[in-house]
Amino acid sequence: MKQLIELEINGRIYEIPVSPKDLLVDVIRKKVGLTGTKKGCGQGDCGACTVLIDGEPVLSCITLAIACQGKKITTIEGLVAEDGTLHPIQQSFVDHGAVQCGFCTPGMILTSKALLDKNPQPTETEIKRGIAGNICRCTGYKRIVEAISAAGDTISSGGVK
Amino acid sequence: MYLNDFAYFAPKTSGEALNLAGRLGNKAKILAGGTDLLIMMKEKMLKPECLININDVKEFKGISYIPGKGAVIGAAAKISEIEHSALIKEKYFALHQAAGELGSVQVRTMATIGGNSCHASPAAETPPPLAALGASVIISSTAGEKELPVEKFILGNRKTALGEGEILTKFILPEPAPKSASRYAYIGLRDAMEIDAVNMAVNLVLEDDNRTIKDIKLVMGSVSPVPLVSAEIPGILVGRELNSELLEKAAQAASGEAKPINDIRASAEYRREMVAVLTRRVLQQAFNAASGLKEA
Repeated sequence: MKQLIELEINGRIYEIPVSPKDLLVDVIRKKVGLTGTKKGCGQGDCGACTVLIDGEPVLSCITLAIACQGKKITTIEGLVAEDGTLHPIQQSFVDHGAVQCGFCTPGMILTSKALLDKNPQPTETEIKRGIAGNICRCTGYKRIVEAISAAGDTISSGGVK
Repeated sequence: MYLNDFAYFAPKTSGEALNLAGRLGNKAKILAGGTDLLIMMKEKMLKPECLININDVKEFKGISYIPGKGAVIGAAAKISEIEHSALIKEKYFALHQAAGELGSVQVRTMATIGGNSCHASPAAETPPPLAALGASVIISSTAGEKELPVEKFILGNRKTALGEGEILTKFILPEPAPKSASRYAYIGLRDAMEIDAVNMAVNLVLEDDNRTIKDIKLVMGSVSPVPLVSAEIPGILVGRELNSELLEKAAQAASGEAKPINDIRASAEYRREMVAVLTRRVLQQAFNAASGLKEA
Protein backbone atom coordinates (compact mmCIF):
# COMPACT_ATOMS: atom_id res chain seq x y z
CA MET A 1 0.00 0.00 0.00
CA LYS A 2 1.62 3.24 -1.13
CA GLN A 3 1.54 6.43 0.81
CA LEU A 4 2.77 9.90 0.01
CA ILE A 5 5.80 11.02 2.03
CA GLU A 6 8.02 14.08 1.96
CA LEU A 7 11.76 13.66 1.76
CA GLU A 8 14.25 16.52 1.96
CA ILE A 9 17.11 15.72 -0.39
CA ASN A 10 19.91 18.23 -0.99
CA GLY A 11 17.77 21.00 0.42
CA ARG A 12 14.80 20.32 -1.84
CA ILE A 13 11.52 18.75 -0.71
CA TYR A 14 10.25 15.84 -2.81
CA GLU A 15 6.75 14.39 -2.44
CA ILE A 16 7.06 10.72 -3.24
CA PRO A 17 4.63 7.79 -3.13
CA VAL A 18 6.35 4.89 -1.35
CA SER A 19 5.59 1.50 0.15
CA PRO A 20 7.00 0.90 3.63
CA LYS A 21 9.33 -1.69 2.13
CA ASP A 22 10.93 0.78 -0.32
CA LEU A 23 14.60 1.29 0.41
CA LEU A 24 16.10 4.76 0.42
CA VAL A 25 18.64 3.89 -2.28
CA ASP A 26 15.91 2.78 -4.71
CA VAL A 27 13.76 5.82 -3.98
CA ILE A 28 16.69 8.19 -4.53
CA ARG A 29 17.76 6.50 -7.75
CA LYS A 30 14.48 5.46 -9.35
CA LYS A 31 11.84 7.83 -8.00
CA VAL A 32 13.85 11.00 -7.48
CA GLY A 33 16.21 10.22 -10.35
CA LEU A 34 19.47 11.08 -8.59
CA THR A 35 21.66 8.26 -9.81
CA GLY A 36 24.90 9.44 -8.23
CA THR A 37 24.12 7.20 -5.26
CA LYS A 38 25.22 3.69 -6.19
CA LYS A 39 23.78 0.36 -5.22
CA GLY A 40 26.54 -2.17 -4.66
CA CYS A 41 26.21 -5.17 -2.38
CA GLY A 42 22.74 -4.35 -1.08
CA GLN A 43 23.75 -5.71 2.32
CA GLY A 44 25.42 -2.79 4.00
CA ASP A 45 28.94 -4.06 3.46
CA CYS A 46 30.39 -2.04 0.57
CA GLY A 47 29.44 1.56 1.32
CA ALA A 48 28.66 2.50 -2.31
CA CYS A 49 25.13 3.54 -1.30
CA THR A 50 26.31 5.89 1.46
CA VAL A 51 24.33 9.12 1.82
CA LEU A 52 24.40 11.66 4.63
CA ILE A 53 21.39 11.86 6.91
CA ASP A 54 21.57 14.90 9.17
CA GLY A 55 25.28 14.98 8.34
CA GLU A 56 26.02 11.38 9.34
CA PRO A 57 26.96 8.67 6.83
CA VAL A 58 24.22 6.07 6.44
CA LEU A 59 23.82 3.02 4.20
CA SER A 60 20.82 3.78 2.01
CA CYS A 61 20.47 0.15 0.86
CA ILE A 62 19.45 -0.92 4.36
CA THR A 63 17.45 2.17 5.27
CA LEU A 64 13.70 2.44 4.77
CA ALA A 65 12.75 5.58 2.86
CA ILE A 66 9.63 5.96 4.99
CA ALA A 67 11.83 6.25 8.09
CA CYS A 68 13.65 9.29 6.65
CA GLN A 69 10.80 11.78 6.84
CA GLY A 70 11.80 15.01 8.55
CA LYS A 71 15.51 14.38 8.04
CA LYS A 72 18.02 16.14 5.83
CA ILE A 73 19.39 13.78 3.21
CA THR A 74 22.50 14.71 1.26
CA THR A 75 23.57 12.79 -1.83
CA ILE A 76 26.68 13.35 -3.94
CA GLU A 77 24.68 15.70 -6.20
CA GLY A 78 24.16 17.93 -3.17
CA LEU A 79 27.86 18.71 -2.74
CA VAL A 80 28.26 20.67 -5.97
CA ALA A 81 27.71 24.41 -5.69
CA GLU A 82 24.88 25.95 -7.70
CA ASP A 83 27.34 27.35 -10.25
CA GLY A 84 28.73 23.86 -10.80
CA THR A 85 31.89 24.33 -8.71
CA LEU A 86 32.94 21.03 -7.21
CA HIS A 87 33.16 20.62 -3.45
CA PRO A 88 36.82 20.71 -2.29
CA ILE A 89 36.70 16.96 -1.58
CA GLN A 90 35.39 16.26 -5.09
CA GLN A 91 38.03 18.55 -6.59
CA SER A 92 40.73 16.87 -4.54
CA PHE A 93 39.65 13.41 -5.77
CA VAL A 94 39.94 14.69 -9.35
CA ASP A 95 43.29 16.37 -8.73
CA HIS A 96 44.79 13.29 -7.06
CA GLY A 97 43.52 10.75 -9.59
CA ALA A 98 41.57 9.12 -6.79
CA VAL A 99 38.82 7.98 -9.17
CA GLN A 100 39.29 4.85 -11.24
CA CYS A 101 36.04 3.11 -12.19
CA GLY A 102 34.20 5.63 -10.03
CA PHE A 103 31.59 3.31 -8.55
CA CYS A 104 32.76 3.74 -4.97
CA THR A 105 33.47 7.45 -5.37
CA PRO A 106 30.15 9.03 -4.34
CA GLY A 107 30.00 6.97 -1.14
CA MET A 108 33.69 7.49 -0.51
CA ILE A 109 33.35 11.28 -0.83
CA LEU A 110 30.27 11.50 1.38
CA THR A 111 31.91 9.40 4.09
CA SER A 112 34.98 11.65 3.80
CA LYS A 113 32.80 14.72 4.16
CA ALA A 114 31.32 13.40 7.39
CA LEU A 115 34.84 12.66 8.62
CA LEU A 116 36.30 16.06 7.67
CA ASP A 117 33.29 17.93 9.09
CA LYS A 118 34.23 16.52 12.50
CA ASN A 119 37.97 16.30 12.08
CA PRO A 120 39.30 18.58 9.31
CA GLN A 121 42.90 17.38 9.61
CA PRO A 122 42.78 13.65 10.24
CA THR A 123 45.88 11.46 10.39
CA GLU A 124 46.36 8.76 7.79
CA THR A 125 45.15 6.16 10.31
CA GLU A 126 42.06 8.22 11.09
CA ILE A 127 41.27 8.50 7.38
CA LYS A 128 41.71 4.76 6.87
CA ARG A 129 39.50 4.05 9.85
CA GLY A 130 36.97 6.58 8.61
CA ILE A 131 36.62 5.01 5.16
CA ALA A 132 36.81 1.41 6.38
CA GLY A 133 33.19 0.91 5.37
CA ASN A 134 33.74 2.03 1.78
CA ILE A 135 35.21 -0.62 -0.44
CA CYS A 136 37.14 0.31 -3.61
CA ARG A 137 37.62 -2.80 -5.74
CA CYS A 138 40.03 -0.99 -8.04
CA THR A 139 42.00 -0.85 -4.76
CA GLY A 140 42.92 2.75 -5.38
CA TYR A 141 43.07 3.50 -1.69
CA LYS A 142 46.44 5.23 -1.66
CA ARG A 143 45.29 8.14 -3.80
CA ILE A 144 41.92 8.24 -2.08
CA VAL A 145 43.63 8.66 1.29
CA GLU A 146 45.91 11.36 -0.16
CA ALA A 147 42.93 13.15 -1.72
CA ILE A 148 41.03 13.20 1.57
CA SER A 149 44.06 14.44 3.47
CA ALA A 150 44.65 17.24 0.95
CA ALA A 151 40.96 18.18 0.92
CA GLY A 152 41.13 18.49 4.70
CA ASP A 153 44.03 20.92 4.35
CA THR A 154 42.16 22.96 1.73
CA ILE A 155 39.03 23.11 3.85
CA SER A 156 40.95 24.09 7.01
CA SER A 157 43.01 26.78 5.32
CA GLY A 158 40.27 28.23 3.15
CA GLY A 159 37.42 27.93 5.59
CA VAL A 160 35.33 26.35 2.85
CA LYS A 161 32.21 24.68 4.13
CA MET B 1 17.17 -8.38 -2.67
CA TYR B 2 13.78 -6.87 -1.97
CA LEU B 3 11.85 -6.82 1.26
CA ASN B 4 8.48 -8.45 1.83
CA ASP B 5 5.46 -6.19 2.29
CA PHE B 6 4.79 -5.15 5.84
CA ALA B 7 2.78 -2.61 7.79
CA TYR B 8 4.94 0.16 9.23
CA PHE B 9 4.53 1.86 12.59
CA ALA B 10 6.64 4.67 14.02
CA PRO B 11 5.49 5.31 17.58
CA LYS B 12 6.62 8.53 19.26
CA THR B 13 6.30 7.48 22.90
CA SER B 14 7.17 4.47 24.97
CA GLY B 15 3.48 3.90 25.75
CA GLU B 16 2.56 3.81 22.06
CA ALA B 17 5.45 1.47 21.28
CA LEU B 18 4.57 -0.97 24.06
CA ASN B 19 0.88 -0.93 23.11
CA LEU B 20 1.77 -1.69 19.51
CA ALA B 21 4.15 -4.46 20.54
CA GLY B 22 1.47 -5.92 22.80
CA ARG B 23 -1.27 -5.71 20.18
CA LEU B 24 0.80 -7.03 17.26
CA GLY B 25 2.74 -9.65 19.23
CA ASN B 26 4.76 -12.05 17.12
CA LYS B 27 3.53 -10.50 13.86
CA ALA B 28 5.82 -7.54 14.52
CA LYS B 29 9.55 -7.06 14.62
CA ILE B 30 11.21 -4.10 16.28
CA LEU B 31 13.17 -1.93 13.83
CA ALA B 32 16.06 -0.17 15.54
CA GLY B 33 19.22 0.30 13.44
CA GLY B 34 18.09 -2.20 10.81
CA THR B 35 21.66 -3.25 10.04
CA ASP B 36 20.85 -6.87 10.93
CA LEU B 37 17.05 -6.98 10.66
CA LEU B 38 16.72 -5.61 7.12
CA ILE B 39 19.48 -7.90 5.87
CA MET B 40 17.72 -10.92 7.37
CA MET B 41 14.51 -9.74 5.67
CA LYS B 42 16.31 -9.31 2.35
CA GLU B 43 17.62 -12.84 2.66
CA LYS B 44 14.06 -14.02 3.48
CA MET B 45 15.16 -15.43 6.80
CA LEU B 46 12.46 -13.26 8.36
CA LYS B 47 9.16 -12.07 6.89
CA PRO B 48 7.49 -9.97 9.56
CA GLU B 49 3.97 -8.69 8.87
CA CYS B 50 4.68 -5.47 10.73
CA LEU B 51 7.69 -3.37 11.70
CA ILE B 52 7.69 -1.08 14.71
CA ASN B 53 10.36 1.59 14.25
CA ILE B 54 11.46 2.66 17.74
CA ASN B 55 13.96 5.32 16.63
CA ASP B 56 11.55 8.17 17.34
CA VAL B 57 10.85 7.06 20.92
CA LYS B 58 12.77 9.46 23.15
CA GLU B 59 12.51 7.27 26.27
CA PHE B 60 14.40 4.47 24.50
CA LYS B 61 17.36 6.66 23.57
CA GLY B 62 20.30 8.44 25.17
CA ILE B 63 22.86 7.79 27.86
CA SER B 64 22.40 9.06 31.41
CA TYR B 65 24.52 8.74 34.52
CA ILE B 66 23.95 9.20 38.22
CA PRO B 67 27.20 9.42 40.24
CA GLY B 68 27.42 6.52 42.65
CA LYS B 69 24.62 4.63 40.91
CA GLY B 70 25.80 4.05 37.38
CA ALA B 71 24.65 4.58 33.82
CA VAL B 72 21.47 3.90 31.92
CA ILE B 73 21.82 3.41 28.17
CA GLY B 74 18.67 3.47 26.05
CA ALA B 75 18.33 0.38 23.87
CA ALA B 76 17.95 2.60 20.79
CA ALA B 77 21.17 4.51 21.56
CA LYS B 78 23.41 4.36 18.51
CA ILE B 79 26.71 2.50 18.69
CA SER B 80 28.48 5.69 17.52
CA GLU B 81 26.97 7.60 20.44
CA ILE B 82 28.43 5.03 22.83
CA GLU B 83 31.77 5.04 20.99
CA HIS B 84 32.06 8.83 21.35
CA SER B 85 30.58 9.21 24.85
CA ALA B 86 33.20 10.64 27.23
CA LEU B 87 31.33 9.07 30.12
CA ILE B 88 31.40 5.56 28.65
CA LYS B 89 35.09 5.97 27.82
CA GLU B 90 35.92 7.05 31.37
CA LYS B 91 33.75 4.62 33.31
CA TYR B 92 33.15 1.63 31.02
CA PHE B 93 36.23 1.46 28.85
CA ALA B 94 35.68 -2.06 27.51
CA LEU B 95 32.30 -1.02 26.13
CA HIS B 96 33.86 2.06 24.54
CA GLN B 97 36.45 -0.16 22.86
CA ALA B 98 33.89 -2.70 21.63
CA ALA B 99 31.60 0.02 20.25
CA GLY B 100 34.51 1.49 18.29
CA GLU B 101 35.32 -1.86 16.71
CA LEU B 102 31.80 -2.68 15.56
CA GLY B 103 31.27 -2.60 11.78
CA SER B 104 32.08 0.61 9.91
CA VAL B 105 31.38 4.28 10.55
CA GLN B 106 28.10 3.87 8.67
CA VAL B 107 27.10 0.77 10.62
CA ARG B 108 27.97 2.43 13.94
CA THR B 109 25.90 5.46 12.93
CA MET B 110 22.88 3.25 12.28
CA ALA B 111 23.14 0.28 14.64
CA THR B 112 21.90 0.38 18.23
CA ILE B 113 23.19 -1.22 21.39
CA GLY B 114 19.83 -2.90 21.97
CA GLY B 115 19.84 -4.39 18.50
CA ASN B 116 23.31 -5.82 19.01
CA SER B 117 22.03 -7.85 21.98
CA CYS B 118 18.59 -8.66 20.51
CA HIS B 119 20.11 -10.02 17.30
CA ALA B 120 22.01 -12.39 19.61
CA SER B 121 24.81 -13.20 17.22
CA PRO B 122 27.43 -15.24 19.08
CA ALA B 123 30.08 -12.95 17.50
CA ALA B 124 28.44 -9.69 18.65
CA GLU B 125 30.81 -7.07 20.02
CA THR B 126 28.89 -5.39 22.84
CA PRO B 127 27.37 -8.27 24.90
CA PRO B 128 30.72 -9.50 26.32
CA PRO B 129 31.75 -6.08 27.73
CA LEU B 130 28.20 -5.41 28.95
CA ALA B 131 28.18 -8.74 30.78
CA ALA B 132 31.70 -8.21 32.16
CA LEU B 133 30.66 -4.79 33.48
CA GLY B 134 27.69 -6.35 35.27
CA ALA B 135 25.06 -4.75 33.04
CA SER B 136 21.47 -5.85 33.02
CA VAL B 137 18.70 -5.29 30.50
CA ILE B 138 15.26 -3.86 31.13
CA ILE B 139 12.53 -5.68 29.23
CA SER B 140 9.33 -3.68 28.96
CA SER B 141 5.78 -4.55 28.00
CA THR B 142 2.31 -3.21 28.77
CA ALA B 143 2.43 -5.48 31.85
CA GLY B 144 5.48 -3.68 33.28
CA GLU B 145 9.23 -4.08 33.41
CA LYS B 146 11.62 -6.82 34.32
CA GLU B 147 15.38 -6.85 34.74
CA LEU B 148 17.80 -9.57 33.64
CA PRO B 149 21.61 -9.78 33.54
CA VAL B 150 22.84 -9.51 29.93
CA GLU B 151 24.21 -13.06 30.02
CA LYS B 152 20.76 -14.38 31.02
CA PHE B 153 19.05 -12.34 28.29
CA ILE B 154 20.97 -13.97 25.45
CA LEU B 155 19.94 -17.62 25.42
CA GLY B 156 21.52 -18.97 22.25
CA ASN B 157 22.41 -18.24 18.64
CA ARG B 158 19.70 -15.69 17.62
CA LYS B 159 17.70 -16.54 20.76
CA THR B 160 16.87 -14.14 23.56
CA ALA B 161 14.62 -14.06 26.62
CA LEU B 162 12.41 -11.52 24.85
CA GLY B 163 8.79 -12.74 24.92
CA GLU B 164 5.81 -11.85 22.75
CA GLY B 165 4.89 -8.17 23.08
CA GLU B 166 8.11 -7.28 24.90
CA ILE B 167 10.73 -4.68 23.94
CA LEU B 168 14.27 -4.38 25.26
CA THR B 169 14.26 -0.74 26.36
CA LYS B 170 17.44 -0.06 28.32
CA PHE B 171 20.67 -1.29 29.82
CA ILE B 172 21.59 -0.59 33.44
CA LEU B 173 25.33 -0.40 34.14
CA PRO B 174 26.38 -0.36 37.78
CA GLU B 175 28.84 2.28 39.03
CA PRO B 176 32.34 0.84 38.54
CA ALA B 177 34.04 -0.22 41.76
CA PRO B 178 37.01 1.88 42.96
CA LYS B 179 40.34 0.56 41.63
CA SER B 180 38.69 -1.27 38.77
CA ALA B 181 39.35 -1.36 35.05
CA SER B 182 37.77 -3.07 32.06
CA ARG B 183 39.28 -4.02 28.72
CA TYR B 184 38.09 -5.54 25.42
CA ALA B 185 40.08 -7.31 22.73
CA TYR B 186 39.29 -9.31 19.63
CA ILE B 187 40.81 -11.38 16.87
CA GLY B 188 39.52 -10.96 13.34
CA LEU B 189 40.69 -11.71 9.84
CA ARG B 190 41.22 -8.03 9.07
CA ASP B 191 40.93 -4.75 10.89
CA ALA B 192 37.94 -3.20 9.17
CA MET B 193 34.36 -4.43 8.77
CA GLU B 194 35.17 -7.89 10.03
CA ILE B 195 33.16 -10.19 12.25
CA ASP B 196 35.14 -11.20 15.31
CA ALA B 197 36.55 -14.74 15.27
CA VAL B 198 37.01 -14.43 19.04
CA ASN B 199 36.35 -11.51 21.33
CA MET B 200 36.68 -11.00 25.05
CA ALA B 201 36.05 -8.50 27.81
CA VAL B 202 37.18 -8.38 31.39
CA ASN B 203 36.37 -6.23 34.39
CA LEU B 204 38.90 -6.41 37.19
CA VAL B 205 38.78 -4.90 40.69
CA LEU B 206 41.82 -4.55 42.97
CA GLU B 207 42.07 -4.37 46.77
CA ASP B 208 43.29 -1.19 48.46
CA ASP B 209 46.89 -2.40 48.14
CA ASN B 210 46.60 -1.86 44.35
CA ARG B 211 47.91 -5.38 43.69
CA THR B 212 45.62 -8.07 45.04
CA ILE B 213 42.71 -8.99 42.81
CA LYS B 214 39.44 -8.50 44.69
CA ASP B 215 36.97 -9.39 41.98
CA ILE B 216 37.08 -10.35 38.32
CA LYS B 217 34.63 -11.17 35.56
CA LEU B 218 35.90 -12.35 32.19
CA VAL B 219 33.47 -12.92 29.33
CA MET B 220 34.27 -14.63 26.04
CA GLY B 221 32.45 -14.02 22.77
CA SER B 222 32.25 -15.98 19.53
CA VAL B 223 33.42 -19.20 21.22
CA SER B 224 30.00 -20.32 22.45
CA PRO B 225 26.41 -19.65 21.34
CA VAL B 226 26.14 -17.12 24.19
CA PRO B 227 28.53 -14.70 25.93
CA LEU B 228 30.49 -17.16 28.05
CA VAL B 229 31.29 -16.00 31.58
CA SER B 230 34.41 -17.77 32.81
CA ALA B 231 33.54 -19.78 35.90
CA GLU B 232 37.15 -20.75 36.66
CA ILE B 233 39.04 -17.48 36.42
CA PRO B 234 37.74 -15.91 39.67
CA GLY B 235 38.87 -19.04 41.57
CA ILE B 236 42.34 -18.75 40.08
CA LEU B 237 42.87 -15.03 40.51
CA VAL B 238 40.80 -13.61 43.37
CA GLY B 239 42.90 -12.95 46.45
CA ARG B 240 46.14 -13.07 44.45
CA GLU B 241 48.50 -10.77 42.64
CA LEU B 242 48.83 -11.21 38.91
CA ASN B 243 52.07 -12.89 37.87
CA SER B 244 53.14 -14.73 34.75
CA GLU B 245 52.38 -18.14 36.23
CA LEU B 246 48.83 -17.19 37.18
CA LEU B 247 48.34 -15.43 33.87
CA GLU B 248 49.20 -18.65 32.07
CA LYS B 249 46.95 -20.70 34.36
CA ALA B 250 44.06 -18.32 33.70
CA ALA B 251 44.70 -18.38 29.94
CA GLN B 252 44.63 -22.19 29.88
CA ALA B 253 41.50 -22.29 32.04
CA ALA B 254 39.62 -19.91 29.74
CA SER B 255 40.81 -21.85 26.71
CA GLY B 256 39.49 -25.05 28.29
CA GLU B 257 36.12 -23.48 29.06
CA ALA B 258 35.58 -22.13 25.53
CA LYS B 259 33.26 -24.13 23.28
CA PRO B 260 34.30 -22.91 19.82
CA ILE B 261 33.13 -24.25 16.47
CA ASN B 262 34.74 -24.47 13.04
CA ASP B 263 33.28 -21.96 10.63
CA ILE B 264 34.16 -19.66 7.77
CA ARG B 265 36.07 -17.27 10.04
CA ALA B 266 38.27 -19.65 12.02
CA SER B 267 38.74 -23.23 13.14
CA ALA B 268 37.79 -24.33 16.63
CA GLU B 269 41.42 -25.17 17.33
CA TYR B 270 42.60 -21.67 16.35
CA ARG B 271 39.84 -20.04 18.37
CA ARG B 272 40.82 -22.03 21.45
CA GLU B 273 44.43 -20.84 21.06
CA MET B 274 43.28 -17.26 20.59
CA VAL B 275 41.19 -17.42 23.76
CA ALA B 276 44.44 -18.01 25.64
CA VAL B 277 46.15 -15.13 23.81
CA LEU B 278 43.31 -12.69 24.46
CA THR B 279 42.98 -13.78 28.08
CA ARG B 280 46.63 -12.96 28.74
CA ARG B 281 46.25 -9.67 26.86
CA VAL B 282 43.08 -8.34 28.53
CA LEU B 283 44.08 -9.49 32.02
CA GLN B 284 47.44 -7.77 31.84
CA GLN B 285 45.96 -4.59 30.36
CA ALA B 286 43.13 -4.41 32.90
CA PHE B 287 45.49 -5.17 35.79
CA ASN B 288 47.91 -2.45 34.71
CA ALA B 289 45.11 0.06 34.25
CA ALA B 290 43.49 -0.73 37.61
CA SER B 291 46.79 -0.54 39.49
CA GLY B 292 47.72 2.72 37.76
CA LEU B 293 50.62 1.22 35.80
CA LYS B 294 51.21 2.37 32.29
CA GLU B 295 49.72 0.20 29.56
CA ALA B 296 52.17 -2.32 28.18
